[in-house]
Amino acid sequence: MTTSAMSVARFEALAESYGGEIARWPEGEREAARALLASDPTRLAAVLAEASQVDRLLDLAPAQAVGAALLGRLITAAPKAPTTARRWVAGLSAALGLSAAAFAGVLAGVSLGGYVHAPAFPSTAQHDESVTAAEVYQDLQDALREPSEL
Amino acid sequence: MVSDGNDPDEALLAGVGRGDPSAVRTLLDRRLPRILALARRMLNDSGEAEDVAQETFLRAWKQARAWKPGAARFDTWLHRVALNLCYDRLRRRREVVTDAPPEQMDTGPAPDAGLLHADLSRRVEAALAALPARQREAIVLCHHQGLGNIEAARLMEISVEALESLLSRGRRALKASLADLARDGAA
Repeated sequence: MTTSAMSVARFEALAESYGGEIARWPEGEREAARALLASDPTRLAAVLAEASQVDRLLDLAPAQAVGAALLGRLITAAPKAPTTARRWVAGLSAALGLSAAAFAGVLAGVSLGGYVHAPAFPSTAQHDESVTAAEVYQDLQDALREPSEL
Repeated sequence: MVSDGNDPDEALLAGVGRGDPSAVRTLLDRRLPRILALARRMLNDSGEAEDVAQETFLRAWKQARAWKPGAARFDTWLHRVALNLCYDRLRRRREVVTDAPPEQMDTGPAPDAGLLHADLSRRVEAALAALPARQREAIVLCHHQGLGNIEAARLMEISVEALESLLSRGRRALKASLADLARDGAA
C-alpha cells in the first residue's frame, strides 16, 4: 500500500490534536507520519515530545474507583432469570393466546370472584381456598413485575 | 449510529437480557469503570459521576432484552447515554442561580514547588473542568476513553475536522494553564 506524503504542517496539527504518540493518530495517516518522522527525526521528534508533555498532564486527571455500593445496586437492579412461576405463566398464557398480564388478570378475576360470592361466614375450608387464590395472584403479580420494581 | 457488526459486548448483553448473573458481572467489570471515569472527568464531581454511571446502566438493563445487534456498538451507546446525562447536569448547574459562586478549585500554581501527586491530579482535573464542555468532551473521548477519531466525531455529531479543532484548542488551553507544571518537570 502506498501512502501519500504528509506535510510538516499536517504532522504538527495531528500532534497538537491527538498527542505525541503516532499510534493514537488516525489510522490512515500513521504510516505517512512515520515516514515523515524518519525523514527529519530531530525536528519532528521535538514536536512529538512537546505534545507528549500534554499527554502526561492529561494522564494525571484522576479516574474514579468503582465503589462496592454502586456495584451492588447495579447488580441488584439487573434483569433476573425468569422464575418457575414466570415461566409457567408465560408458557400457559402463550398456549391460550393471551398476554401474561391478561392471563394473570383472568386468573385473579376467577379467584377473587370466588371470594366475593363466598357466604358471609365462610367455612374454614372456603376461607383457606380464598386466601390461597389471593396468594397465587400475588405470586403471579410478583412474577410479572419488572426487575427494576423489585 | 451503525455498528460495524463486531461488537465485543453483544454476547454479554444477550446474557444480561436472559438474567445471567455472570454476564451482568462481566459487563459491569468491563464497562462500568470506563463510564464512571467519563462522567467524573466531564463533571469533576464524584457523587454526580456515580449518579450518571448508575442511571446509564439502569437504562442499559432496560434495553438488554430488546437490544438489536448491529444498530450500534453497546460501548458507543453507553457513552452517548452517559454524555447526555452529563450535559443535563452541566445545563442544570448553569441554570442554578446562587448567591455565592460555585466552589472552584484553584487552577493557579501552588506556593510549594514540591507538589504531591494528588495535588497534581487536582490541578489537572480543575484545568480540565475549566475548559469549554465540548473541548473537554473531545479530549476525554479521544485521550482518556481511547476512542478513534471517527467514533468520537460520530458520537459528538460533528465532523472529524471539527473534532480536531476542539482537541487542539483544548490541549493548547490546558498547556497554557498548566505551564508551570510542565516547566517544573511534573509532566
